[in-house]
Amino acid sequence: MADKDAEIGFKKETVSKLLSSSFKEDKTRLSGDAALLMAELLKVFVQEAAVRSQKQAESEDCDQVDIEHFEKILPQLVRSSKMGF
Amino acid sequence: MSVDKDETQLRLKAAVHYTVGRLCQRMGEVHRREFSRQVLAAIAETAFRQCDIFAKDLEAFARHAKRSTVSSEDVKLVARRSTALSIYIQNKSEELNQEQRDLKKKNAGKRKSRDTEERAENKDKTKAGL
Repeated sequence: MADKDAEIGFKKETVSKLLSSSFKEDKTRLSGDAALLMAELLKVFVQEAAVRSQKQAESEDCDQVDIEHFEKILPQLVRSSKMGF
Repeated sequence: MSVDKDETQLRLKAAVHYTVGRLCQRMGEVHRREFSRQVLAAIAETAFRQCDIFAKDLEAFARHAKRSTVSSEDVKLVARRSTALSIYIQNKSEELNQEQRDLKKKNAGKRKSRDTEERAENKDKTKAGL
C-alpha cells in the first residue's frame, strides 16, 4: 500500500500565492524550494492542530472533536509557531 | 482592482479549506475521532492566518540576509521554534537537494553517453574513410 499521507497536501502554487499575497514589498519572491517546504510546514501545522484537538476530545471522553476542543489547544499551537518575544 | 484581490483571497481560502478537510478526514479515519464542520473551518481559518505571519517572518529573514528571494534557509528559520518541526523541515530540504542532485547526475550521464556514442560513430566514419 502506497503511503497515503503523501498524497494529500497543499499545492505548491496555492502556498506560493498565499504567502506572496502577504509580502510587504513587491520585489520579494519565493523560491520554488521554499514554496515546497512551506507546503510541508503547513501540512504539519494542520496535522498538529488536528491531532491535538483529537487528544483533547479524547481526554474529555468525547466521540467527536468540537470547537471547544480546538479552542483549548489553540493558544499552545500558535505560541510555538509565532516568532514572538 | 480590489475586487479581484478579494476574489483571489477567497479562492485561496477555499483551496486551504479543501486541503484541511481532506487532511482532517484522513486523521479522523486513522484515530477514529472525527471533526465537526465548525472545527474544520476553524483550523482552515487559523492556517490561513498563520500563513500571513509566516510570510512576514520569511520576508524579514530574507531581507536580513540581503536577499529579495525567500529561500529554504529562511523556511528553516521559521520552523526553528519547534524542534520536531525543525528536524522534519531539515530532512525535507535535504530530500529536495538530493532529488536535484540525482536529476543533475542523470542529465549529465545522458550527455556523457551521447558524447561517447558520437565519438564511436566518428571513429567508424574515419575508418570507413569518410
